[in-house]
Amino acid sequence: MASRCLPKMKVQDAFRSQVHLKIITFFHENQASIDTPRGVSTWIREDRARVKKALEDLVAMEILIAHRATSITGYSYTRDRKLISKIARLLKKPT
Amino acid sequence: MLKTKDTAYQKELFEKLKTSVSLKREEECIGACLKSTQWWLIDKPNPTLNELSKLLYANCPIRKKRSAGKKKICLDDLRACLKAASRDKAIKKFDCKEGLHGFVYPIAQGDKFYGYIGACYSKRDVPTEILNIFSAFTDSIIREIEKELELSKLYETIRPRAIALSTVHTVHRLISSTLDLNELLPRIARLSLQIMRANRCSIKLVDSTRKILLPKVTIDLREKKTSLKKVRIGRWAPGKAVKFGRPIKGTGYLAMPFIDEDVIGVITVYDKIDKKPFTTFDQEIMATLAEQAVIAIKNAQLYKEQEKLTIGSIKSLATVLDTRTPATYIRRASFSKITISMGQALHLNDSDLKSLEYAVLLHDAGQIVVPDEILTKPAKLTGKEYDVVKEHPVRGVKIIRHMKALKSVVPIILHHHENYDGSGYPKGLKRDQIPLAARIMAVVSAFEAMITKRPYRATRTIDEAVEEIRKYSGTQFDPKVVEVLLKVVKRKDMRTMLEREIYGKPMPS
Repeated sequence: MASRCLPKMKVQDAFRSQVHLKIITFFHENQASIDTPRGVSTWIREDRARVKKALEDLVAMEILIAHRATSITGYSYTRDRKLISKIARLLKKPT
Repeated sequence: MLKTKDTAYQKELFEKLKTSVSLKREEECIGACLKSTQWWLIDKPNPTLNELSKLLYANCPIRKKRSAGKKKICLDDLRACLKAASRDKAIKKFDCKEGLHGFVYPIAQGDKFYGYIGACYSKRDVPTEILNIFSAFTDSIIREIEKELELSKLYETIRPRAIALSTVHTVHRLISSTLDLNELLPRIARLSLQIMRANRCSIKLVDSTRKILLPKVTIDLREKKTSLKKVRIGRWAPGKAVKFGRPIKGTGYLAMPFIDEDVIGVITVYDKIDKKPFTTFDQEIMATLAEQAVIAIKNAQLYKEQEKLTIGSIKSLATVLDTRTPATYIRRASFSKITISMGQALHLNDSDLKSLEYAVLLHDAGQIVVPDEILTKPAKLTGKEYDVVKEHPVRGVKIIRHMKALKSVVPIILHHHENYDGSGYPKGLKRDQIPLAARIMAVVSAFEAMITKRPYRATRTIDEAVEEIRKYSGTQFDPKVVEVLLKVVKRKDMRTMLEREIYGKPMPS
């Protein structure tokens, strides 16, 4: 289920953290992907605990959707086209 | 002619060569030995005269001195050298008419030929040793670049597939984690929407007549009004997918049948969010998803069947046991409801609630071994008789212990006569030592005994029974559980149901 928490951070804020940025980039490039913290940490080569925390931050910001089941949570990319376009613009911007 | 794939590879190879630090250092070393050497890369197997001329004379130290005739001779010599190098796939020397020297190294891989590395304008003749050294080093540099390119190609090919595989694995875990069809089908629909990046998904299952598709779930993320419509097999995309047992794909929809031994249903996704049509790749992914979904659905259906069978067996067992006990002992639905409501209020999980539901039916199963004269005795029991009655939880466990499905019910039945202060039986457990479900069962069982007819004592009203339970809160009963019972019995729906079952009609308030 998608988290209904109000966004705590602005989308731009997430781009300041390396882990958050890597996760956003991963899901933006693989928009059909649904993966666990373990899977995501493998793809972006970051520590699993940090990835897990960042994933939840991004769920709260509604950039990601959490699919929660008893023993597993899968994360996938937002379906909001406006938000996706905004992220695409931010990703293109030189850092 | 190189094919497009090879051209792309050639382009990447030359990009790598242009930026290769190893090649640059090699050129510097060899250049220092030969003096005034200029280097060039030719990124095609058959350069034109014009291309060669541009390349060669851009840096030629004596180009201004040369006449057009000499230039022509120089180019012809170089072309002949390139030809020889490509034919023999070996480094070749050439001499300039102005007394300068150079060589050409062919860049080849198997039977494919990509271009050349050349050196020119050396004032010294190039010794064979230098040529051999250059050839050996350049071979290893090119091999390294080739490996690098191969790896990156492999990475580009494998990574998306690995990510897709990981997604499929995650989806499998997500849908396998529930055996409840009501939870499973919406989950499958949501995950499919996510993977397909579609706006709408519906799941329909084949009915028992095998003529109609029964709508089970429809999710539309545009929040359009959705209606659950039955579809005749053979009609529309879902009906056709089921009839022909194959996917039906249109511009804005993709219907994938759930195939087990037979077709059991269909999942249809509609309208991609990027408004593009569904592709063959979408179809492949959807087929994998459907394969996983069908296993999960079959498991959930089997589990439901099994559960029905279990509850049926338990009810049969309870009925058999009830024939042995006086009619007044017969269970009433309201006590099951009260017990489950209390379990929910005390946050028992689904599996514990299920155990509690079974325990309500079977908690006094052990009374089957209690002689009739004791069960129906209208007076206080003697010590010996009471000892016989006290055996019933253990006897009850002996009856049900062989049923695997009732394993979790055993502690409830065994301990439902334990008292909170430790004065109960059979083990004399106290407080948290007694399982919570058994503490709930103890309160409900006592409440039931008080308000229904018993041969050994007068029936109490609901309010009197509630008072009595409250009186023993903290001694015989867990105060937390008593508090929940009081709240549940206070509920209007519960009270009406109880009164209807006990007195035949609701009592005036």
